[in-house]
Amino acid sequence: MATKVLYPLYQRGNPQLRIFRTNFFLTLVRPGKEQPPDTVQFRIPMEMSKFDVKNYLGSIYNVQVADVRTRIQYGTNRKRNHLNQKVKTPDYKVAYVQLSKGQTFEFPDLFPQKDHTPKPDSMEDIQRKFMEDEQQRQKVDPRRGGVTDWFGL
Amino acid sequence: SGYGTSVGKISKMAAFCVRCVGNSKLSNYMQLKRVRIIHTEVLAQNPTALSPLYPPIVPSLTARSKAAKQRRRDEYYKKVYAAPSVQEKLRLLTCLQRLKYVVNTQTSAINADRWYQHFTKTAYLSGLPEHFTNSGMDQVAETGDIVTSKALSDPDFEELKSLFCTALLQENFYMRKRTPFLYRTIEHYFSPFLNNAVSALTTLLAAQNPLLKESSLDFKPQVNFYWMRGERVVPRGHRKGSVDPIRFQIDDHPHSQIRVPKQLPEFVPLDYKVPAEVPVIKLEPDRLPLFKRQYDNHIFIGTKVTDPCVYGHTQFHLISDRMHRGRLTKANLEDQIEVRLRANAISSLFAWTGAQAMYQGFWSHEDVTRPFVSQCVITDGKYYSFFCYQLNTLALCVETDCNNPRKNICWGTESMQLYDTVEENDVKGFNDDTLKLLVQFLLYRPKAL
Repeated sequence: MATKVLYPLYQRGNPQLRIFRTNFFLTLVRPGKEQPPDTVQFRIPMEMSKFDVKNYLGSIYNVQVADVRTRIQYGTNRKRNHLNQKVKTPDYKVAYVQLSKGQTFEFPDLFPQKDHTPKPDSMEDIQRKFMEDEQQRQKVDPRRGGVTDWFGL
Repeated sequence: SGYGTSVGKISKMAAFCVRCVGNSKLSNYMQLKRVRIIHTEVLAQNPTALSPLYPPIVPSLTARSKAAKQRRRDEYYKKVYAAPSVQEKLRLLTCLQRLKYVVNTQTSAINADRWYQHFTKTAYLSGLPEHFTNSGMDQVAETGDIVTSKALSDPDFEELKSLFCTALLQENFYMRKRTPFLYRTIEHYFSPFLNNAVSALTTLLAAQNPLLKESSLDFKPQVNFYWMRGERVVPRGHRKGSVDPIRFQIDDHPHSQIRVPKQLPEFVPLDYKVPAEVPVIKLEPDRLPLFKRQYDNHIFIGTKVTDPCVYGHTQFHLISDRMHRGRLTKANLEDQIEVRLRANAISSLFAWTGAQAMYQGFWSHEDVTRPFVSQCVITDGKYYSFFCYQLNTLALCVETDCNNPRKNICWGTESMQLYDTVEENDVKGFNDDTLKLLVQFLLYRPKAL
């Protein structure tokens, strides 16, 4: 329900604990291995459980979740720094959330290839054409076959 | 040998001729005249005396090459084809243990039925086959090889109905029981009821269906099946890059089953064009999620191979409390209720019919010559779903599946209620249609009887 808090002890008869502003933040990631179309992959805080993920997505984002499976990814402790000390990459928890009622999700392409061709008759286009002409003029005669200018008569 | 020496002579002559031909004026003359090698007398007299001089050239058995691997596989298949008995064949097919996916018949995985259809190459058709829909309880018809039931006379039907009600009341009202343990409610209240109901059905209907007189009713039997489908490339390790078949194992424990000595007739012919498609899933089974284990590969129908009752008739499954429809409705998963029943039916019946076929000596490289048919009823005491399965092909591994047009077929119904509630001393809202369908299921038999 929140990270780094001391939950009050529950005894039978107590009212249900409610958290209104949670400390948890989920990260939607692109799956490394191909997942079925109804599965969404998240990186979640280590303190979160499957039920927490389901309630989080259901109450904050109104997402209907059918199933959540979690695993903890161990971060390596093998790397060493310039002082030969071991450096630990942090562990993290991964949640695979399956959406219900036949909904699907496809991770979007965050860095689409942009078309860098400039518009015709714009400043960039004229500049580009001018630069190309200049470079063409600077080049040596291709019939010399790569032999330099100063060599010869 | 005679042939050897004559060939030797011919080759020497040919060599001589070639040398002559190359060097001198004689060569031009011989080329112009087109000199031919003489045909020997031995060959002219008996052409069948040609025995090969050298043994056939085959790939090595022990080399680390693809040809050697293929040769080892071929030698293994030859051993299986030539196995003297079914037990030996099964032993050869299941002796090697490797990591395999364990397919649970009662899963909590979402949309498991599509995955299971892909693993078992099954097409699902909703509704039951024509045999059950055409013939009502009141018709007598003969369609080919199947004889539909004569109407179960009303007093018999009433007797059966009263037996069912008594069994229900016995478990839910008359008998004082402790509160059931967690997730054991259905087993606590309905397992003994189903015991009594199935026994009553078989004994009462044995009069109409003589096959049931020779049948064997098992309680809590074990049904296992092991098969290979698809291939995968090993991603890491010392075998990285090599191609491995994907292995599956089903270990099923139905509530009860009826085994018969004679095979049930087919619902549709072997080369029937199924209107439904088998879903193809390109992802690996780990995404379902399905987990791998390595242990003994079992193929078992409920008894050993030498038993007289080696063909299956009907299975009865009691669903687990985790799949109970109340729980799924509360978790907002109503559409998964039917999905789980279908997955259960497809996996259990495929395992049972596949094992029956293997008991007759068929395997993935010797495909079935006649379809194997079984039925099942999946229930939680109140709701009943009926499924029929026809196994048309066992050839599911990559080598045999590339040109195999046959598919296995599963027919199924939605859940039907048997009764509404059990109030003190009374079963309210008993549905006769469900019981009639149950009776029809059990009366299915070949024409010869």
